[in-house]
Amino acid sequence: MNSFLEATYEILSSSSTYMNAALFAGLLAFAATGEWVAERAGTLNISVEAMLLTGAFTSAVGFHLTDSVVVALFAGAIGGVLVASVQAEMSHRLAADQFVVGLTLNILAFGLTGFLDREIDPTTKLARRWNIPVLNEIPLVGKALFNQPWPFYILYALIPLSWWLVYRTRWGLELRAAGENPQSADVSGIDVNKRRRQTVYYAGFTSGLGGTFLVFVQVGRFDDAIAGGRGFIAIAAVIFGGWTLRGTILGCVVFAAALSSRLSIQGLGYEVNSELLQALPYIVTIAGMAIFAHRVRAPAALARPFVRGLK
Amino acid sequence: MTNRSVDLIGADDAQASSAPAVEFREITKHFGAVTACEEVNMTLWRGQIHGVLGENGAGKSTLMKILIGLVMPDRGKILVHGEEQQISDPLDAAALGIGMVHQHFSLIDALTVWENVTLGDSGSLNPEAIRNRIGDIGDQYGLVIDPYALVGELTAGLRQRVEIIKCLRRDPQILIFDEPTAVLTPEESEQLFNSLRNVVTSERRAVALVSHKLDEMLSAADEISIMRQGRIVDHCLASETDAPTLARGIVGREVLLRSEQAALGVARTEQRSLGRDDRRSASALTETSVLRIERAVVRSPDGFRLLDELDLEVKPGEIVGVAGVEGNGQRPLGDLLSSLLALESGRVEVDGKTISSGRPGAMAVAGVGVIPEDRHDSGVVLDMTVAENLILTNPDRFAKRSVIDLKMVGAFAQQMIEEFDIQCDGPFAPMWSLSGGNQQRVVLARELAQKPKVLVAAQPTRGLDVAAIEYMSSRLRLAAEENVAILLISSELEEILDLSDRIVVLQKGQVAGEIARGEADLEHLGLLLGGSAL
Ligand SMILES: Nc1ncnc2c1ncn2[C@@H]1O[C@H](COP(=O)(O)OP(=O)(O)OP(=O)(O)O)[C@@H](O)[C@H]1O
Ligand SMILES: [Mg+2]
Repeated sequence: MNSFLEATYEILSSSSTYMNAALFAGLLAFAATGEWVAERAGTLNISVEAMLLTGAFTSAVGFHLTDSVVVALFAGAIGGVLVASVQAEMSHRLAADQFVVGLTLNILAFGLTGFLDREIDPTTKLARRWNIPVLNEIPLVGKALFNQPWPFYILYALIPLSWWLVYRTRWGLELRAAGENPQSADVSGIDVNKRRRQTVYYAGFTSGLGGTFLVFVQVGRFDDAIAGGRGFIAIAAVIFGGWTLRGTILGCVVFAAALSSRLSIQGLGYEVNSELLQALPYIVTIAGMAIFAHRVRAPAALARPFVRGLK
Repeated sequence: MTNRSVDLIGADDAQASSAPAVEFREITKHFGAVTACEEVNMTLWRGQIHGVLGENGAGKSTLMKILIGLVMPDRGKILVHGEEQQISDPLDAAALGIGMVHQHFSLIDALTVWENVTLGDSGSLNPEAIRNRIGDIGDQYGLVIDPYALVGELTAGLRQRVEIIKCLRRDPQILIFDEPTAVLTPEESEQLFNSLRNVVTSERRAVALVSHKLDEMLSAADEISIMRQGRIVDHCLASETDAPTLARGIVGREVLLRSEQAALGVARTEQRSLGRDDRRSASALTETSVLRIERAVVRSPDGFRLLDELDLEVKPGEIVGVAGVEGNGQRPLGDLLSSLLALESGRVEVDGKTISSGRPGAMAVAGVGVIPEDRHDSGVVLDMTVAENLILTNPDRFAKRSVIDLKMVGAFAQQMIEEFDIQCDGPFAPMWSLSGGNQQRVVLARELAQKPKVLVAAQPTRGLDVAAIEYMSSRLRLAAEENVAILLISSELEEILDLSDRIVVLQKGQVAGEIARGEADLEHLGLLLGGSAL
């Protein structure tokens, strides 16, 4: 028992634990922030996985062609938006089932990026680390939050920006209305499906940046298993967070802690059954959803298509 | 409002001075086999209130939706201020200065009052300006409301108030009201019509008003059109007609029954209470109560006592009317008896057995049927068919080994559709395609078919037309004669006076007074409601 406590202490006091967790949380936060916006407008956007993967690939290609991480970032965003355009136009213009479209996109993105990766084989690297003076000296978490490759810091703008858009702008009010009661929103003169399309594009944009983050901040190179279900964990984070942004980010941190624990524990030389460790994030996800899912209220029209005159 | 001659002078120079605000020309709209509007010609003049009457499903709402751009007509033209216009969505209508207060579906529960009010505007979001505007409208029209309240937590009357403010905020020159007072108390509606009359005469706006209440129509409107099966069948000046004539026009036959007249507000209250036979009430007195509520306390999530030691009993065959100003516990009482709310203390007994409150379905199993106040929230599922809605509370009756027998369901639904005269495209028509009044009939049919011991009817005639009100009333009486204990919760005093054997008045979640039916008249009841002591 004593040795277990010691080990726990060592893990919790090692800054590498926080570094690992921050990388995972950062990735999840990119995807989950956009996903949250889309869900508030009524789309349960499962193609977020495809958006991450495609974003990761296009950013890698962007860098491969220009040698610039800035270009890679734009290329990543474009990749995510490309997937979003299919999801948005199919499900909120042509009224195709959003899950069928999302599922198809996830499979398609996996196959396509895998194939093109072998054809192009883009070379990439980690982005340059920016060390924020003073702040990085905060004990334990300082390095994790303020000594990271520079795309990490985009989050510090993206998250408050998303909050402001959803809660403080007319656009945000309208998208929340579209997610709660599309019929009433329509009667009030709001183009429900247009708002929904826009939010899916937004999710594509942030997840595309997330893909860039995967390649240039977390892993350093592209392979077709790089997204590895993280998109789904981002969706779980939104549910865990009860469809509030604060809760969603908290969900990202909790799930990231579980995801990264394997690395941290093994990194410090401890032996734990590795299959169990691999399953841990998913156990936490399911436990989290079991505890929180019934306490919160989802947007009332989540995943319900809107067709004029139909109720 | 009583000064008819002034209104008519206003009308005259409106017609002389300019083109009408709105002209419908041969508007026709079919939904599949259903004719909603057929060659409708109608004119709205500036400075006038144009009343539209008609049975449930006559096409009133459809005509209004065509004007606001929610429904596209199959044929016909709309002229606004003399010019032909294509109105293809509510934004077009707003640009033309047309605003509408809807019968259903325009508020969003999860948003606050001010957020709902500004929905559909454009430009940057300025909460302060919107809240000020809400305050101004409240002062001007007597529609006071807390802009920060969550709409989902408001009573039906207050929600309607938000709906009206939402319409008025843009200063529309042409206003459409689709049954605006169906959920308002008599004082609230009077206030609304007073302020409406002000804007209409002083600011020369045009108003279209849909309502089922004849006396209200007679005092509020200048001109009246009557629709039947999609057509305008009659048109007259309010000053040159009376309630019986209108009633005849609406149903297309002579209205004779006294109770029918009562439902129309044509007969006097005294006459009505004489019309009842006393056999039932005499026998009822000897029996023990089938519904007994003792010292019931129900609290809202924020700790407020919704029901505060409420005691209430209903005997078999008795109709107990629950009156009171909206928001004094009527809704929690209905919710308690629908198993939607749990007791904090006290108890509910049905037939001598204590029922555990708040457990889903417990009340229904014990034999309590409920016609809920808000049929869209808890009455029907709009996405399901009429037949499915009819069997919703008791699907087991139609199932063999848990598999629903569609033939049986269809036959049952057909029988109900005929018995309750539900206008729809057959048993498998989707619920959303029915007019408001017909949806209410589906709820009534379902609850009565269950043969309940206790029937809770919350605002059962809200939104019903003349004939349907009469029908609903006679069904409730019939149920009472078959020994069902009926709790009638209603904000329509006339309805309560007409039907009840005994009337209780709720105030702050308590029974504040009780009147036997012999002593009850409108004034006495009105005083009690106003909070004056017994
Ligand atoms: N979207 C729709 N699809 C199919 N049928 C419809 C639709 N909207 C209305 N109807 C039908 O058109 C007819 C007219 O409906 P409408 O809502 O205009 O009646 P109403 O006069 O407003 O009745 P109420 O007094 O009950 O509100 C009804 O028979 C209704 O079932
Ligand atoms: Mg209607």
